[in-house]
Amino acid sequence: MSEPILEVEGLVKHYPLTRGVVFRKQVGAVRAVDGVDFHLGRGETLGIVGESGCGKSTVAKTLVNLERPTAGSIRYKGEDITRLSGKALKSVRRNIQMVFQDPYTSLNPRMTVGDIIGEPYDIHPEVAPKGDRRRKVQDLLDVVGLNPEYINRYPHQFSGGQRQRIGIARGLALRPEIIVADEPVSALDVSVQAQVINLMDRLQSEFDLAYIFIAHDLSIVRHISDRVAVMYLGRIVETGRDAEIYDHPTHPYTQALLSAVPVPDPEAREHRERIILSGDVPSPTNIPSGCRFRTRCWKAQERCALEVPALAVPAWFEAAGGPAAHDSACHFAATVPIRRSAPGQVVPPEERPGGTV
Amino acid sequence: MLLEVRDLHVEFHTRDGVARAVNGVSYGVDAGETLAVLGESGSGKSVTAQAIMGILDIPPGRITGGEVVFQGRDLLKLREDERRRIRGAEMAMIFQDALSSLNPVLTVGDQLGEMFTVHRGMSRKEARARAIELMDRVRIPAARERVRQYPHQFSGGMRQRIMIAMALALEPALIIADEPTTALDVTVQAQVMELLAELQREYHMGLILITHDLGVVADVADRIAVMYAGRIVESAPVHDIYKAPAHPYTRGLLDSIPRLDQKGQELYAIRGLPPNLMNIPPGCAFHPRCPLARDVCRSDEPPLYEVSPTRGSACHFWRECLDE
Repeated sequence: MSEPILEVEGLVKHYPLTRGVVFRKQVGAVRAVDGVDFHLGRGETLGIVGESGCGKSTVAKTLVNLERPTAGSIRYKGEDITRLSGKALKSVRRNIQMVFQDPYTSLNPRMTVGDIIGEPYDIHPEVAPKGDRRRKVQDLLDVVGLNPEYINRYPHQFSGGQRQRIGIARGLALRPEIIVADEPVSALDVSVQAQVINLMDRLQSEFDLAYIFIAHDLSIVRHISDRVAVMYLGRIVETGRDAEIYDHPTHPYTQALLSAVPVPDPEAREHRERIILSGDVPSPTNIPSGCRFRTRCWKAQERCALEVPALAVPAWFEAAGGPAAHDSACHFAATVPIRRSAPGQVVPPEERPGGTV
Repeated sequence: MLLEVRDLHVEFHTRDGVARAVNGVSYGVDAGETLAVLGESGSGKSVTAQAIMGILDIPPGRITGGEVVFQGRDLLKLREDERRRIRGAEMAMIFQDALSSLNPVLTVGDQLGEMFTVHRGMSRKEARARAIELMDRVRIPAARERVRQYPHQFSGGMRQRIMIAMALALEPALIIADEPTTALDVTVQAQVMELLAELQREYHMGLILITHDLGVVADVADRIAVMYAGRIVESAPVHDIYKAPAHPYTRGLLDSIPRLDQKGQELYAIRGLPPNLMNIPPGCAFHPRCPLARDVCRSDEPPLYEVSPTRGSACHFWRECLDE
């Protein structure tokens, strides 16, 4: 693996719940992120998947310093950015930029595209001297596949996919090393999603970017990520390289999540084995003891209520090696046969009608 | 046929001009059958459904032509009070966003019960008992206690179950589900789709499933109608379409989704953008984005060619597309 440029350790973000007006006292906390560790290499893509409320967006916000973590450290090239302030923080922030989910609300409707993309230069004037900005913005528009002549237009004159390109251009303006993208394509139509994903792929190799790619769509995450982390209720429950997670998941939650994804192949309908989880995700104000997934887990035993499973390679897989030997926070981690297509119908991609997918 | 839509046209009159949202849509659904209507935003899939249900906002909307024949009667010719008796009782709709479709100041029990007091003239007490039964039916735990709760006290998946319960209340012959699981997480989505499919089998209902998700369609649909710029561009049994699409737009959609079971290279992307409905390109509306487009596509609007007795494609070059 390449040298890590971002290392996150023990990241915690709790939002206090208070009661009373005069004598405010804390009665509990929303434990949105509850102890998360990961690292990101230069030019690498880490996908973070999970359902709503699992804390993935809160992680994103702490990475770009929109939220201060309650505890833990975020080290960028060895320096803990959670302790920085003033000038030092400003210079670090230049290198970690964010692309937001909703291209409709994340662009100021009263600013022209040129002003939106050029605004980062007002904050970091050292990147582009005043006279040079217009040209820089036009270059950026060109890079993300928009007509540079659109520089004086307003966001409402663009479609959703084009707006997301504007958001990406703004993220690129300061030539960051890391881009945190929080659900960057989930608001877009299928045909436009592919365009934006391909753009992000291209920009990554062009500018040697590292991505934190957050999404709930598991297929898209697999497509773009080198490594994947699966989150549940504020914690990473399983992490590994994309094939390890998608083809050899060992955590029951990952297995359920993957089996629930509808596959665009009607032939597979009768042959798929679906794990349908019962119930809903527990409230993050009241997280179950021990393993936080145990209330919905079909494998749960007494031990799961008592002991918090650590995120590590399970001992029984470590000895055997192979793709199942990756971090999984389950006392009873085991592989299951993954069958997504009909038996005997696993068609290699090049022979599928429709060609490359 | 339980429901047959024939050559439906819908326009919206706006300040900036006339948006032609639906331009000659025809499709049908039988009892016990699931028709998936697939399309991106602005394709007219929801507007068609609203016209069928009779909940289109008129004005600015206007139905300028066509028929909606349901159980032998053209709904578009009925008076509003006659339609109201059909709506909810004979055909019902499930919306995407359950939180904004439910009334926040009424308990779910009152909202479910209203179906029975209004349409069936039951007493409040009877209606309450039926509401509890329905909540049990869609597997909401502790229905007897939760019947007194308000929508915000339920999770997203549970709220969508309440929407389903409400749609099923009077055992309609047809259900139209407009993106019923789009707002839900995948594990909950699987629960809700399973429930919907099971209830459909049990009541032998016709189901029109409106969605943009090719995965969900592959899981539950019998037939698919693909819409683009207010027209049906391909209509086929579900297995045929995934095996070999007969329209370049369908092919593009299938090729542009990343797959869970394979790590792809570059995704195929349909170039360009969906058309502006105020200014739909002449000829085939898809031609500016189509890799097969030729002169004839720019001038002549393709009819829905018969590919096989059960299959149609609105592409002049459907043979070429099929062979590819």
